[in-house]
Amino acid sequence: MNKVFVIAWRNLWRTPRRSVVTIGAMTVAVLAMLLYASLVEGYVRDLEADLVEVEVGDLQVHAEGYRDRPSLYTTIDDSDAMIASLEGAGFVATARLLAGGLVAAGESSSGALIKGLDLETNDAVSAIAERVDRGEWLAASDPHGAVLGRGLARALAVDVGDELIVLGQATDGSMANELFQVRGILEAVTAETDLAGVLIADSIFRETFALDQGVHQVLMRRPANLGLDAASALAQSTIQGHEVKTWRELQPLMSQMIDISRSMIILMFVVMYVAIAILILNAMLMSVFERIRELGVMKAVGLSPRTVLSLVLTEAMLQAVVATVIALAVGAPLLWLLVERGIDVSGFGDITAGGMSIGTRMFGAVAPHTILGPIVTFFVLVFLGVLYPGLKAARLRPVEAMRHQ
Amino acid sequence: MLKQSPWIVLLAIVWMSVAMSPRALARQPSEDAEMQRLLGLFDDLLRGASSQGTMTMTVKTKRFERTLSMQTWSKGTDKSLVRILEPVKEKGTATLKVGDKIWNYLPKVDRTIKVPGSMMGASWMGSHFTNDDLVAKIRYSEDFACSFDPATREPSVKELRIDCIPNEDVAVVWGKVSMLLDKASELPTQSMFYDDDDELVRTMKYENVRTMGGKRIPTVLTAIPAGEDGEFTRVEHSKLEFDIDISDRLFSLQSLKQ
Repeated sequence: MNKVFVIAWRNLWRTPRRSVVTIGAMTVAVLAMLLYASLVEGYVRDLEADLVEVEVGDLQVHAEGYRDRPSLYTTIDDSDAMIASLEGAGFVATARLLAGGLVAAGESSSGALIKGLDLETNDAVSAIAERVDRGEWLAASDPHGAVLGRGLARALAVDVGDELIVLGQATDGSMANELFQVRGILEAVTAETDLAGVLIADSIFRETFALDQGVHQVLMRRPANLGLDAASALAQSTIQGHEVKTWRELQPLMSQMIDISRSMIILMFVVMYVAIAILILNAMLMSVFERIRELGVMKAVGLSPRTVLSLVLTEAMLQAVVATVIALAVGAPLLWLLVERGIDVSGFGDITAGGMSIGTRMFGAVAPHTILGPIVTFFVLVFLGVLYPGLKAARLRPVEAMRHQ
Repeated sequence: MLKQSPWIVLLAIVWMSVAMSPRALARQPSEDAEMQRLLGLFDDLLRGASSQGTMTMTVKTKRFERTLSMQTWSKGTDKSLVRILEPVKEKGTATLKVGDKIWNYLPKVDRTIKVPGSMMGASWMGSHFTNDDLVAKIRYSEDFACSFDPATREPSVKELRIDCIPNEDVAVVWGKVSMLLDKASELPTQSMFYDDDDELVRTMKYENVRTMGGKRIPTVLTAIPAGEDGEFTRVEHSKLEFDIDISDRLFSLQSLKQ
């Protein structure tokens, strides 16, 4: 076996040009896949983080029937006790008030989803306060301040400091109306909030919509040691009689998007690597055909078909190992750049994917599977690519091979 | 009889069904004229060239009950203005309608908001009427094809029933509107609004006939949405004057505010 290894290594450098080209192509393929996998992982993680950390939370509680038919009247009435018991179980939770309505500024108006936030508990659950692009986040000292989605602000042509009228129907049937000032404008978040979200403090929400008690939604983050489904089960058993949903159930489209993005990596691997596999197949076929007489002699002096096969396989694998080492060496600093600096995608305009607005920079992320995935797939394909030339070499008949011109 | 050619039997059936159909009956000149006269009366019942009045609107839903008193002005079918007098919390809130556009003035924020198209189907002041109902200016005598219910033509029946189907080019949400008219007074007692699937959507009752503004009119109108147990919106006119001189300037954004 050791001999096979030595012979394989020597054989590689008998045709240095072909070997270098093959190794070069392999290196580019592995490198591209390492970077691509990292970028997709980063994108997927950003999506998930945006969704879960900023807006949706891990889990949400609604009053029974609210999600099918949202109504100002369908409330969770014991929210304080509920939040207390959830926090006892290790969750962090915050209550939200929700109403559909209209916002108007100057001559323009637009449909809006008005959210009343509990400013004291919100930041522990949601990172949305950190996503203010212009202006400032809500403050209890400024009850008439409102933070708007970026798209909505654009539709209404308002900027920080402009006035805004929120209209709707209050619980007593009267026309809810209140004057606000734009205090902040969010950066890219979910499309729903981007295009229709008006965030205000819960106290002014109650006043505006004449809602004395009850909340529409309880948003929570799970304890760090629990998976999503386990956390959901725990929350459901902690609070009876209300509907608990995970972010994956609440945002099935996004959830699917994320899963699809991950599996897309594999598809890309296959597409990229099939090209590489053909290249390897070609290079190894060439080297086998060029050496038919030589291989014939080797078989004639007693090399078994197995040894010949393992010789050809080893030649290919050696090239693959060299390519992988180079790809990792070159890739490491590039991956670091991708993770730390990201790449500017603002030139592509405003991108929305599956209901999420993507920001102006994309960042990579590194995880074991973004490194091992490309490499393992690569080796499997190299192995499959070299199998045919290897078997061909192994099956040579010594006499015919030695006569081969 | 069966020995006759089937074609003749068929023709006879077709002729009979055409001739006996309500629409064909209505096409006879005298009935046609009477229908037009009755529909015209109905169309102009609570309308004059202009009007001014005060009314109370009571809205009862599962969730709340509220009573508003308001002042109203109208001119032609195009212009109207409603201003809330009570309760104090909503005093001064006003709705101006010009053509198919609606503006609301909100005294609390001192702003006038034009109701956008997306909100036209929403409730007006919490009632069972929508903004669309406010701007709808259908005239049954022109926009609908109406026919008498033949059974109610009998002299022994006190109320006449008229069924109206909107003409194709008329934009209404109803698939059919039926009304009951008291034969003696020729005033409506009830109208029923159906959707395109012939399901009852809303019933309107006309009650408490009194002389107001020189006309005999039902002064209490109650809209009852179908399938919403116990819910209604009732409008009681306490004063109504017709054909008085009202300046066009009243129906402007400036006067909406005052």
